[in-house]
Amino acid sequence: MKGMGLALVVGGWVVAVAGLLVSDATAARLGAGLAGLATSFAGIYSLNAAHLENAIWKARGH
Amino acid sequence: MSRQGRSLAVTRATAAALAILGMILLAAPVRADEDAAAAPAPAPPITRADLKGISTPSADDLAKGDPGGTLTGSAGDIVMADPKAGLTIADIANQVGQNRIAVNFVWTLVAGFLVMFMQAGFALVETGLCRAKNANHTMMMNFMVYGFGLFAYWVMGFAIQQGGSAGITNLGGVNPLNNEFKLSLFGKDWGLFGTKGFFLSGDTYDVGVMVLFLFQMVFMDTATTIVTGAAAERWKFAAFAISTFFLGAITYPLFGNWAWGGGWLSQLGANFKLGHGYCDFAGSGVVHSVGGLTALAVAMIIGPRIGKYNRDGSPNAIPGHDITMVLLGCFILAFGWFGFNPGSTLGASGNGSLRIGSIAVNTMLAGCTGSFGAILYMWMRFGKPDASMSGNGLLAGLVAITAPSGFVNTVGSVIIGFSAGVLVCLSVEFLERVMKVDDPVGATSVHGTCGLWGVLCVGLFADGTSNYGGSWNGVDGSVTGLFYGDPGQFVAQLIGVCTLVGVIFTLSYVFNAIVEFFVGQRVSAEAELEGLDLPEMGALGYPEFQLVTPGLGRSVDMGG
Repeated sequence: MKGMGLALVVGGWVVAVAGLLVSDATAARLGAGLAGLATSFAGIYSLNAAHLENAIWKARGH
Repeated sequence: MSRQGRSLAVTRATAAALAILGMILLAAPVRADEDAAAAPAPAPPITRADLKGISTPSADDLAKGDPGGTLTGSAGDIVMADPKAGLTIADIANQVGQNRIAVNFVWTLVAGFLVMFMQAGFALVETGLCRAKNANHTMMMNFMVYGFGLFAYWVMGFAIQQGGSAGITNLGGVNPLNNEFKLSLFGKDWGLFGTKGFFLSGDTYDVGVMVLFLFQMVFMDTATTIVTGAAAERWKFAAFAISTFFLGAITYPLFGNWAWGGGWLSQLGANFKLGHGYCDFAGSGVVHSVGGLTALAVAMIIGPRIGKYNRDGSPNAIPGHDITMVLLGCFILAFGWFGFNPGSTLGASGNGSLRIGSIAVNTMLAGCTGSFGAILYMWMRFGKPDASMSGNGLLAGLVAITAPSGFVNTVGSVIIGFSAGVLVCLSVEFLERVMKVDDPVGATSVHGTCGLWGVLCVGLFADGTSNYGGSWNGVDGSVTGLFYGDPGQFVAQLIGVCTLVGVIFTLSYVFNAIVEFFVGQRVSAEAELEGLDLPEMGALGYPEFQLVTPGLGRSVDMGG
């Protein structure tokens, strides 16, 4: 779960940079950048969710 | 000679000196091609006779004192290469050039001293927002981050960041910093890191390099101190030390190189026709987003404080112990920010550096409107003008204007600051209630969220009026945002944001996960409940007071 989250975070950056290489159109690059950013944020969210599975406040007796 | 006559002589001498300087400037070959046709007959060259005509105050005059300040500083103070030969044109020209660099050195150093003092502001804000039982620990993290970060940056951070940044003419060129490691991919050069300046040794033992080092070092330290706030009240001191060293030595300098050291982000304009490439005037991205995203990574790894969340996931408020410290710290930070943003011109003379006035006003306005935005949001949402969030709103506005401060006008800065003030409140709520990330001081929201917003704002609000030597990042013309006609600049900023989130966050996360594995990031539950002052530091912050934390005392059962 953590690995997948990290992969998404980095993958988002790859998408954004790849947009620079595959197209000269500003709109296409903008779209790739936004898609990449959304992907990275999704990765951070899932990474955090993985950490919350063992959160201290979920412990028995807390 | 009477005092009136003496004044007249000095006035004439000053006028003659100014006339000579004016002639030197007019005689300079700058813009010669365009102006040659339209210009009147060129000014006659300066002759020895002109120089001999300059009279200066006599030693007798000067011995009588100069209460009016009209005698001190004249042509007689110009350093001559050969006093026997007398004053020459070369002497004057050299003095003018050195004076320009001297003004820029002093400006940059004083600005750096102001930024260094921001450490005190951060220490007060973070300690005030934590509980009294952790005061010593929180203060010590803010104190020692200066030393740990400085050492790491001296050893290798500066070289990685600025080792290939020769050509900063405001500081005399810093020519020894002349080697950038680049990869050639897809027909483009991708600058990754510098390789000159390790330990400030060799030919980087240079006055200009030293000024640049001091200024860049205090910026780096600002980034490292952001993290201590997010991990406060539960961070193991040893883990903090290792994490800070890595941030100062690797993570921060890498992004600093890409943005400011001639690296690949700064070349997006030259290589991919995206405006002027990634533009970050004073560091919303380089300093604040790097610090804020590292803070998020550490806070996720380290987990929330005991008592922050109930078993159903609902959050509890854990108020800080001293709001006066918090607001005093915010004022100190706002004061230091006048070094942060205007100082980033790296000079006050030449290359459009007089824009420092505009930059200072932008900084002031955005900070004020940031606190307006936050206070209005909190008042409307919760019925009270929350003090700590007002302070965070001020900081949010300042963080957001940091990148655009050199490129936007006052209307833009007001919009940027106000929006950041609201944004920081939304971000704090989102992180606390949805993400369930415990950030005691709101560092991730203030510096991470608003830092990223500030980076994007360059691509939106840059008005195309700045002129720092006629180009920026090797692209001629002024930085211009989407609202003023250049959508490519916004894309460049977006790529910068993606890099911060995708690469810098990941790097920080992985390294701190390694520290977690080998050292452990978090103190024991017993130490956390007792407060970190005694277990971690060996002394209480407030030894003469009995500290009681209602509802979060030793009755908490940590079994299981």
